[in-house]
Amino acid sequence: MKQKYERPTIRKMNTGLMNKFGTRTDFDPVEAIDGVPVKSLVEQYGSPVFVLSEKQIRRNYQAAVRSFKTRYPKVQFAWSYKTNYLNAVCRIFHQEGSWAEVVSGFEYHKALGNGVSGNQIIFNGPDKKEADLILAIENHSLIHIDHYDELYLLIDVCKRINKKAKVAIRVNFDTGVYPIWDRFGFNYENGQAWAAINKIVAAEHLELVGLHCHIGTFMLSTTAYSVAATKLCDLAMRCKTELQNPVQYLDLGGGFPSINTLKGAYLPGVDTVPSVEDFAEAITGTILNFGFAADELPLLILESGRVLIDDAGYLIGSVLANKRLSDGRRATILDFGINILFTSNWYDHKISVAKEAGQYTEETVLFGPLCMNIDVVRESITLPLLERGDQVVVHKVGAYNMTQWMQFINMRPAVVLIDMQGKSHQIRKPETLAYLEMMEEVPEYLIKKSSF
Amino acid sequence: MKKHLQYYISSALNSYAVLFFSKNEILGVLLFIVSMFNFNAGLTGLISVLASLILVSALGFNKEDIKTGLYTFNSLLLGIGFGTFFSFNSTFWLWLSAACLLCVVLSVNLLSFLGKYGLPTLSIPFIITFWLVLIAASGYQGMGLVQKSSSLLFELNTGAPSHFTKLCHFFDNLNVPAYVLLFFRSVSAVLFQNSVLAGILISIGVFIHSRIGFSLLLIGFVTACFVNHLTGTYPDGISNYYLGANFMMVSCAIGGFFLIPSWRSYAWAIVVMPFTFLVLNALSRLLGFYNLPVFSMPFCLITIGLLYFFMLRKNPQKLQLTTFQNYSPETNFYQFLSGKARLKDFQYFNLSLPFMGAWTVSQGYQGEITHKSDWQHALDFVLEDMDGKSYNLPGIKPEDYYCFNKPVLAAGDGIVQEVINHIDDNVIGQVNLEQNWGNTIVVKHTEHLYSKVSHLKKNSIKVKAGDLVKQGDIIGLCGNSGRSPEPHLHFQVQSTPYIGSKTLSYPFAYYASENNQVLKSFEIPKKGETIQKPEINPYLKNAFHFEPGYINLVTDDRGNKETWEVFADNLGSTYFYCRENQAVAYFVNNANVFYFTRFYGDRKSILFLFYQAAYKINFSAHQVKDYYARDAERFKPSLWLRDLFAPFFIFTQHTYSNDIKPKNDGLTINIETKKQVFGHDEVLLNAEIHLNDKGIESIDFLYKNKTLKVKWETGLV
Repeated sequence: MKQKYERPTIRKMNTGLMNKFGTRTDFDPVEAIDGVPVKSLVEQYGSPVFVLSEKQIRRNYQAAVRSFKTRYPKVQFAWSYKTNYLNAVCRIFHQEGSWAEVVSGFEYHKALGNGVSGNQIIFNGPDKKEADLILAIENHSLIHIDHYDELYLLIDVCKRINKKAKVAIRVNFDTGVYPIWDRFGFNYENGQAWAAINKIVAAEHLELVGLHCHIGTFMLSTTAYSVAATKLCDLAMRCKTELQNPVQYLDLGGGFPSINTLKGAYLPGVDTVPSVEDFAEAITGTILNFGFAADELPLLILESGRVLIDDAGYLIGSVLANKRLSDGRRATILDFGINILFTSNWYDHKISVAKEAGQYTEETVLFGPLCMNIDVVRESITLPLLERGDQVVVHKVGAYNMTQWMQFINMRPAVVLIDMQGKSHQIRKPETLAYLEMMEEVPEYLIKKSSF
Repeated sequence: MKKHLQYYISSALNSYAVLFFSKNEILGVLLFIVSMFNFNAGLTGLISVLASLILVSALGFNKEDIKTGLYTFNSLLLGIGFGTFFSFNSTFWLWLSAACLLCVVLSVNLLSFLGKYGLPTLSIPFIITFWLVLIAASGYQGMGLVQKSSSLLFELNTGAPSHFTKLCHFFDNLNVPAYVLLFFRSVSAVLFQNSVLAGILISIGVFIHSRIGFSLLLIGFVTACFVNHLTGTYPDGISNYYLGANFMMVSCAIGGFFLIPSWRSYAWAIVVMPFTFLVLNALSRLLGFYNLPVFSMPFCLITIGLLYFFMLRKNPQKLQLTTFQNYSPETNFYQFLSGKARLKDFQYFNLSLPFMGAWTVSQGYQGEITHKSDWQHALDFVLEDMDGKSYNLPGIKPEDYYCFNKPVLAAGDGIVQEVINHIDDNVIGQVNLEQNWGNTIVVKHTEHLYSKVSHLKKNSIKVKAGDLVKQGDIIGLCGNSGRSPEPHLHFQVQSTPYIGSKTLSYPFAYYASENNQVLKSFEIPKKGETIQKPEINPYLKNAFHFEPGYINLVTDDRGNKETWEVFADNLGSTYFYCRENQAVAYFVNNANVFYFTRFYGDRKSILFLFYQAAYKINFSAHQVKDYYARDAERFKPSLWLRDLFAPFFIFTQHTYSNDIKPKNDGLTINIETKKQVFGHDEVLLNAEIHLNDKGIESIDFLYKNKTLKVKWETGLV
């Protein structure tokens, strides 16, 4: 077999003691995802392409459920739509028994379209339109109130349509993690939450069924959840004893981190991030020991998103060009950038080559394809020597990218799901110009040919 | 006043009917009429019964006991016997009342004495009393009791021939085989008569009361005749008036009343016949010395003796004794069947899974690794992932195993018997054979029922010996101590309190399969099965959580209203009671399921419809398929054929099934009941129960092409 040509590289010689951890980073090539060759995926769906592993999604979900359900008798997960609301993905979670957690009117409709019954949709977020609220009330969905104006609107709407709404309030508090996420919901420490609860219980058409919090995102401390659970339990207990309105559930929100490495982190995420087991232990232990009677334990709802899907997503892309920067650094231009890999703003993504490479590596900057200076995928990464047309695989991109991606300069690529049997399915087509222009309207006068 | 009269009438009728182990009023009335064939005897019988009833009622015995007729039926026999054997004269009434008092005293005392052993008194009080009277009267002429001559004994009416005597004679000489006439005459002997007409009437009554009972009378008679024919014991047949009755009553008591009817009990009814011959003849000879008739003494001795004999068995298996006497072989039998199939909540202590979440049985009963010989009835549980692994890579520390550190629960309410909490958790792959069971908790649930969890994590146990635990309490954490190469939970049930006691095969009350698809009740999970506690649907649990004191009002769209209230009886059984028509429906309501057990009363009531519709509801929203408990208490000739063959083969049953559909603000239970005859289905009733978060909202019924809408309102009415 003809050996692959490998371009020459020059490396600076370092003298002194060897690094005791060695110099090797991870160069194991990723030639296949769930048994499907990367090459064939690119051939079939083009490059770049997002790939999701159904097996890993289910594995993650079941592991998370196992962590909680083996510790607490009543647990319910609600899939956080904003994390990834491709219908195929949502339906996998619903098949596994997950409810839906939505934060906008269109997400609400998406959930209904995915066959979620109204009473299993949790409606969160600061922006709920009146029409969406009415729909949610009529469907007996769980409406989590974010602010007083929403509370007043809801009271007003309910009175007008003469229907009862099932509501909870979002509570924020100091859990020892800064900055405090106090822009959502009602504050616990200053009594705002209790005041809101009293208003709800007093309101004729509102039924307080739960309490909700979401203390942050990519939380690296389990203690914060213990604190949050304690404070929610305290409110729940007061609802029962002082208002004779026991709540049916406590919604601890999400925020569990995936094993991605945050930018600026000293050690890789795999080694530093607490596992779902640890969070489960902290949360369930707190609620079980709080002092509820065994048959009055509230249902525990979790709205995890990222931790359930991040490592089930891959992005396959190709090298467009190599170049050298003015300061001598190597630079590699890829066919994906922050336009579709939004999370490269947050993480130092792990990136692998898609085929066997030689032993030589070099440090390089990874740029995306945009004509924008900000389009940097990794500021510095050690990779084998790449050639134009070589494929790379970005790991742990399942969360947020397929919802926060933008159509800017380039179109958004296809999304492929590999099912349990190792068969690939396109779950979102690559965008086309026609799609892009579908919503456009050109005023009549601009269409008329000008007559000379 | 009306209530008083009702009480006396029903008690008196029961005193008659109970002669044939019945509470059937039709049989009671027929027996009363037949007793009046010999007017003197019938009258004294009636007077004796009423006098005894007034006596025991006035003395303050339990009214419910009195109503069964058990205190007074011996007096009835005594009265009839007196009237039959002695002529009326001045002292007759004196001695009758004395004998009656004696008989009542004996009845009450013997009933209590033998009752301790679970045995009946039968007609022993009467026989003893009457013997005493006979012995006394024959020795002291001065007592003034004059025996009728034996030729007059069976004369129904000593006066001039009337229409009635002609009628009796007509029946006595019917042109049918002699054995048929003999059968009826033998039946009539129970009331000291020897009349075919009396026998026919009694037989009709017995048949209406119980087909099984009647068939057993027949079997007893035929077998006795056959044995007599073979041996020639009585050259002129078993015609002597008391002989046949003894055989038939033994057959009835053993074959269908004190034992649950089955081919086995029928076989016993036949087998005991020669045995009865032996006892009967011996007693006759013995008593002959004293000129005493044996009456039904052989029947009493044989029945009581055999019953006690059967009771002493350790493992009754298929030949079962009647545990709760319904005074009807059919009811006893059907209740037994339904109890066996449906009322497992009463057969077993309710044990739930000792963990939360879905665990997999890694070693089941008779497991290949360690569940052998004395310890074969044990279960090992682990947590497995989608790929069948029980650990996260690399799997070299106990912490890598999913089940490690997971809460272990008390399987049932009880008292902690023993705790070991100090044994180190093993390194993966090593076992501690010195302290085989590792950290262990034994919980005592009842006498002779203990559950044990083993291989728990060191110092994780939160209870100590003597602590009271409730079902589902967290008592420790799963670990890797003792003979445990990798973390797992060992669970066993045992009948003795020691760590290391041998195991007992015992089911879990309710558990669900891995995806909550299938609900299993009172089963033992098998190796490889992944199981979890049933997920309780809050709507169902809330709607069917009826407790004593609950009152609701139902209104149908034809304007009928019924008010139902929930009560608990002396035994703690809960039931709905309808204020308007006194219908009663018993139900069971536990953490996992609601089901009705019996219905008494007006079958046109809405309560009866509800009984049918909500016959069984799984709180976990799993589908239900069940069979209605059969009933034999109503007068329904169309079912007589079924009853006759029931102990051998049942060809008709009523099935119940439901299916639960969720709604946004509650759910709907769809119910279908069918009648199956020889596998042919016919839908009897469809119903839909609508629930919301407040409970039952309304019920729609569709039956006999009619629809009925019922609205359900709660709150004090």
